[in-house]
Amino acid sequence: MKRELWIVIGALLLAVPLQAQAKPLTVTGVRGLMFGAVLPGVPRVVSRTDPANSGQYDIRGPSRNQMVLAFVLPVAMTGPAGALMPLSFGASDAGYSQSQAIGSQVGFDPKQPFTATLSNNGRGSVFVGATANPATNQRAGAYTATLTLTVTLLP
Amino acid sequence: MRTVSRLTLVVAALVLTGTALQAQTNNASITATASVQTPINVVGFQQLNFGNVFPGVNKTVAVADLTNAGRFDVTGQASAPVTLSFTLPATLSSGPNTMPIDSYAGVRADNSSQTSGIGFVPGGSNPATLSAAGQLFIWIGARVTPATNQAQGTYTGSITMTVVY
Repeated sequence: MKRELWIVIGALLLAVPLQAQAKPLTVTGVRGLMFGAVLPGVPRVVSRTDPANSGQYDIRGPSRNQMVLAFVLPVAMTGPAGALMPLSFGASDAGYSQSQAIGSQVGFDPKQPFTATLSNNGRGSVFVGATANPATNQRAGAYTATLTLTVTLLP
Repeated sequence: MRTVSRLTLVVAALVLTGTALQAQTNNASITATASVQTPINVVGFQQLNFGNVFPGVNKTVAVADLTNAGRFDVTGQASAPVTLSFTLPATLSSGPNTMPIDSYAGVRADNSSQTSGIGFVPGGSNPATLSAAGQLFIWIGARVTPATNQAQGTYTGSITMTVVY
């Protein structure tokens, strides 16, 4: 009985370091989605494969762990005096890359949750593009919006 | 022994639960940014004015005639390329009477004096570029060809220019 108690205590002590060893999940916004200069009445498309203007998130976590990627997407950008400029996201405007290379993405619909797997070294990147749709009388000035990516590790 | 086994199970469950609780969620945000440029504004600055016209005598207003040629003034984003498109009438009207108008000609320039102006034939799609100050001036000339029995009266028609980036 004493021996078994020691085993139990050992297991408990072991469990803590094992948990500590698992890589924590981190999500980092690396690059904003940049439309640059936009002319009234002229839609501006930024592709998820655009290395300079697409949005990018980097993810780190347990190796080969499956996860669910879910976006909270704005419907418009806000500009001077509360002016709005519509944003639209296509069915393949987001992409996931295990290798974190923008050239090797698997496209997915950012409006739907997407299941992906972290790489062998516990990394991955998400890229996102979109279309800004300025009206012909769009008020001039700077416009911004926030895109949030939530990552949930699957057990 | 039985107590210990039960304890072992509890501990095992706790360990497993601890692992399951590792199913973490995290998030990050990025910002989408855009800079909307100045909208285009078009003003019909001056009418295309043929003045007095006599039956059977054609009359032309040269596009270089700064007094009588029609003029549109455009403002917008500095140095931005634009496309001009024109809707041009084939006749001028005075009540039920009409008078043909043709031979349209255009000039565009960065200034209101036509210095270094560029001639073009106004139509459905004419490329142009706004000046470094975000301006463009467009003149339109044309010819009317009144018939020898052209009815007396004041004849008018509308010329429409549309500008898009």
